[in-house]
Amino acid sequence: MTTLTQQKEVAPKKSIIEKLNVFTALALGVISAIVVWRISLALLPQDSESARLFSREDKITLLSMCAWFVGFMTGIGALVGPFRWLMGKDLSHSENMFLAGENMGPKRYFRYTTDHKVVGIQYLFITILIFFLGGGLAMLIRTNLGTPEGGWLHAQAYNSVVGTHGILMIVGTIIMVTGPFGNFIMPIMIGARDMAFPRLNALSFWLIVAAAVPLIWGQFIGGITTGWSAYNPLAGQAPLGMDGYIMYICIFAISTMVAGANITTTVVKMRAKGMTWNRTPIFIYGVVASVALALPAFPVFFLSQVLSAFDRALDTSFYNTAGGGSGWLYENLFWIMGHPEVYVILIPAIAALMEMAPVFTRRPLFSFNVAVLGIAGISGLSVLVWAHHMYISGWAPLLNAPFMLTTELISIPTGMLFLVLVGTLWRGRIWMTMPLMSIMALLWNFMIGGVTGIYLSDVPADAFLHGSMYVTAHFHFTLMGAGLTGAIASLVYWFPKMTGRMFDKTLSWIAFWLVQIGFNVAFIGMFLVGLAGQPRRVESYAPTFNTANLVTTIGAYIVMIGMLVLLHGVVSSALNGVKAPKNPWQAKTLEWTVDYPIPLENFDVLPTVTTDAYGYGKAKS
Amino acid sequence: MNKRVLAVLGTVILGAGVIAGIGTYVAAAKNDSRVLEATPAGTMVTPQGTLPHATLAISVYPDSMAGSHGDNGGAHPGYVTYGPVTNFEVPAHSVITMTVTNYDGGESLNNDYFARVRGTIDGSATLNGQRMTQISPDAVGHTFTVHGLAVGQDEFFVSVPMKAVAEEDMPEEGYTSKPNVTVFTFITGGPGEYIWNCEYPCGDGTIAKFGAAMSTMGYMSGHFTVKG
Amino acid sequence: MSNLMSPKSPQWWKKDDVKKTFILWILCTAVIGYVGVEFHVRNLVNPASETMSSIITLMRVFTWAAAPVAGLVSAISITVLTSKRHYGDNPPAEADHEIRNSPKAAAVWIVISGLLCLFALVAGLIVLQQDNEAILDSKAIQVNVTGQQWLWNFDYENGARSEDLYLPVDKPVVFHITSVDVKHSFWVVQMGIKMDANPGYTTETAVTPNKIGVFDVRCAELCGLLHAYMQTKVHVLSQADYDAWLSAHGATEAGA
Repeated sequence: MTTLTQQKEVAPKKSIIEKLNVFTALALGVISAIVVWRISLALLPQDSESARLFSREDKITLLSMCAWFVGFMTGIGALVGPFRWLMGKDLSHSENMFLAGENMGPKRYFRYTTDHKVVGIQYLFITILIFFLGGGLAMLIRTNLGTPEGGWLHAQAYNSVVGTHGILMIVGTIIMVTGPFGNFIMPIMIGARDMAFPRLNALSFWLIVAAAVPLIWGQFIGGITTGWSAYNPLAGQAPLGMDGYIMYICIFAISTMVAGANITTTVVKMRAKGMTWNRTPIFIYGVVASVALALPAFPVFFLSQVLSAFDRALDTSFYNTAGGGSGWLYENLFWIMGHPEVYVILIPAIAALMEMAPVFTRRPLFSFNVAVLGIAGISGLSVLVWAHHMYISGWAPLLNAPFMLTTELISIPTGMLFLVLVGTLWRGRIWMTMPLMSIMALLWNFMIGGVTGIYLSDVPADAFLHGSMYVTAHFHFTLMGAGLTGAIASLVYWFPKMTGRMFDKTLSWIAFWLVQIGFNVAFIGMFLVGLAGQPRRVESYAPTFNTANLVTTIGAYIVMIGMLVLLHGVVSSALNGVKAPKNPWQAKTLEWTVDYPIPLENFDVLPTVTTDAYGYGKAKS
Repeated sequence: MNKRVLAVLGTVILGAGVIAGIGTYVAAAKNDSRVLEATPAGTMVTPQGTLPHATLAISVYPDSMAGSHGDNGGAHPGYVTYGPVTNFEVPAHSVITMTVTNYDGGESLNNDYFARVRGTIDGSATLNGQRMTQISPDAVGHTFTVHGLAVGQDEFFVSVPMKAVAEEDMPEEGYTSKPNVTVFTFITGGPGEYIWNCEYPCGDGTIAKFGAAMSTMGYMSGHFTVKG
Repeated sequence: MSNLMSPKSPQWWKKDDVKKTFILWILCTAVIGYVGVEFHVRNLVNPASETMSSIITLMRVFTWAAAPVAGLVSAISITVLTSKRHYGDNPPAEADHEIRNSPKAAAVWIVISGLLCLFALVAGLIVLQQDNEAILDSKAIQVNVTGQQWLWNFDYENGARSEDLYLPVDKPVVFHITSVDVKHSFWVVQMGIKMDANPGYTTETAVTPNKIGVFDVRCAELCGLLHAYMQTKVHVLSQADYDAWLSAHGATEAGA
């Protein structure tokens, strides 16, 4: 009632917030970029002939990209709130309700909408888009490697495709669980009305959109020819496309930090009454561990790229030996981010499957405490292992043994997660659904990924395996075989809550088998060429590796077909799927207690929690 | 039911089509697709017996107004470039005589290994008609260095330095009238896919001077195919 | 797992699913260990040094050490999947359970994984120590390796230089590796050694080739446009052949 009267008061003067959307953002972003580009083109001095580095074009590119970023974020309305607060006139209630997307219909998906459910769907959309693009690039790589001489793509384009595939997939896998499900499901699961900082939530999503443009822009000005790790000094030498990568990472890192602060605060402060830590679902632990790990990791990533931009545009020498810097500095910064980052990807995916395990076996999660301990142990150790990526870099041979120790220690908490999963499956009532089989697939793929990780963690064996296709196969088994499998299962599991319709069962099974079989064929073939000595990131290879590479290519095509079937399943089920009941899986977490469509603030009356969510069956004793 | 199967097939074909479209676009973006074939020139007596002989004549220019980049210099008019094209095809088990006319200046190599002629018959070349086996590593314009995959095809390595045009002979505009002409002869092995590149750091303004023209196909590097 | 440690079912091992899992465990361990070892050993390159042989031994040992764990996970998965499965849109009845937490099972699991971890560490350290000592060998031949975009070249003690590597058999050799531009990685494939070439720094690694033949050197760190082609051969010769090659090439380089 109060909302209505307030709306009437504001109605004559249309607030600026109501005029801004993704189109004004695009327009303002493009205009700002063009204006700054013209100005810097006119004003910046030419490089001197004898300069050590020609950096004028880098300066122009970076400035234009910054202008795009600022213009886009202004155009979407990210600055309205802070600006109004600065003027001492904070947003009114009706403006906040407008921002939350109240009674707005589909338009709210194209605005700076603060409702966590809208942000979740937006994240889901962009995750699918990223996987489509990144997967498409993987197909280009595999097509080029189908024959030994390569040459379908020329060397520069190939290197750029490899780098872009890498960074797209890293970003895609980082957001694939915490983005859609961490935003849409998590607040309902803990019994909250929204996130702790709804505007930061919108900010974290639109930052990812803003980041995408420099990356695409970079493709047309030389590409990202350095692989996703963008090692310096190679990145300093690379064409202008590298500036696109730098901007992309910087903006994405801000997004991740913002999301991390928001999600952590939400879980710590906004759990329902009675939801003690012992009653908090394991998925929440996974999401929090993931974003909390990102909090120390991504500022380092941000910093590493800022320094890289300085080296390129301002002729500093952070990473350039000729000027007193060191490439090892970059490697350290990169992997201090890079190794926690793989667990940022893995933990929420595994936690999601641990959340599903009791539902599809109809028995409690086995050893909840061990699960929490496992997640905590992985998170803690993962910040201490980064230099295992640098065993053979020559940086500090004396540190190889201690890093070998920390790396191998991670297998203990990882083993705990296995224990929890097999313990939950044991003597359960197996409900054959795609999520249940995804748990089996995770056990299989993560077992292969984990055991091959032991060889790689061993310094002498790594001296052979490092930089070979074996490594590529290993991390695809962990990030794709375990991580993506968990994310796809999450999609099928929470689909009814997010769209109100069931995911088509037949399509989910077809997609599952195509993806899993294709995946195993592809990457077992890749292990094989790695053992035979094929390096990573090569555009052509000796004919002796041809058969296994061809097998990998065929496997990859099967994965592509499976993924497209899945995509069809998403679209067709969302449009014409069977209407879902409130709680189709008969699960016991809070998100299944709300009706579809979920009201703006989720709960009429906030729930009180008296038990954990795993009370299936009776204890026999 | 049938309609559903068709719809799924449609998505798969559409998706694969979009990916194939991206692939075709990326694959088409080559700036070095043309190939120069060696001209047959009878036979020649060599230490390995009498072999078929073929010749190749190419040049190095200080910018891209010549070469294969079009009248306006293409995407990077300022890049140094080999020309007329950068992909070469030569017959297997033959003698190849290459003539390289260098219009560009130069300075020091970053590794004097490449100041020496390597891989030619008796390890020598002729520079402006004079026999030589190496030039000063501080007066190198460019090198023409062929190498490639080391497994599954014959090992093949040829590296010849091109003497830089002296500073005073480099005109403000246009190309020098006193280019340095290097001629060298080598014997090819069996068929294989090789590449060549320049080992003189000529990517000015980049780290180690190996970016820009050096790291873009079609300028200072290309394919070198030995055909059976 | 849960019932394995249960104090309340004294004859837990007599239950059918436990027996089945146990048999499957033995089978899975054997299959995974055998297939895992064969997959690695058959596809790995033929060793041309003791270093590579010990890497292959390590992988054999690690595979067998991991096989029981992988076998147990597989065995439980198979038992679970072959037990009564429920299909349909509504869930099956909930399962009564004996135990939700099993500190004993968890403890056993953690101790075993800790021991395996310790074992892997010690096995790795022993081989690592051998590799480290090799660098200090005073009788070793010294070879300087220079990586540059997109070639390797090698300098020998008498001034000889080459773009493909020549080594005598059964003699320790220490490589001093550097780069003139960006990072590369010097990988002698069949000898199982790899070390990055960093601009401005010199790194070291050592090996003793033990087979006469021709082997591969590749770059294992993306180094730009033609990274894929940055490879060459290593020729391991008898001492006599090596001396002949070395003096001939030393003379050429000096005589010019």
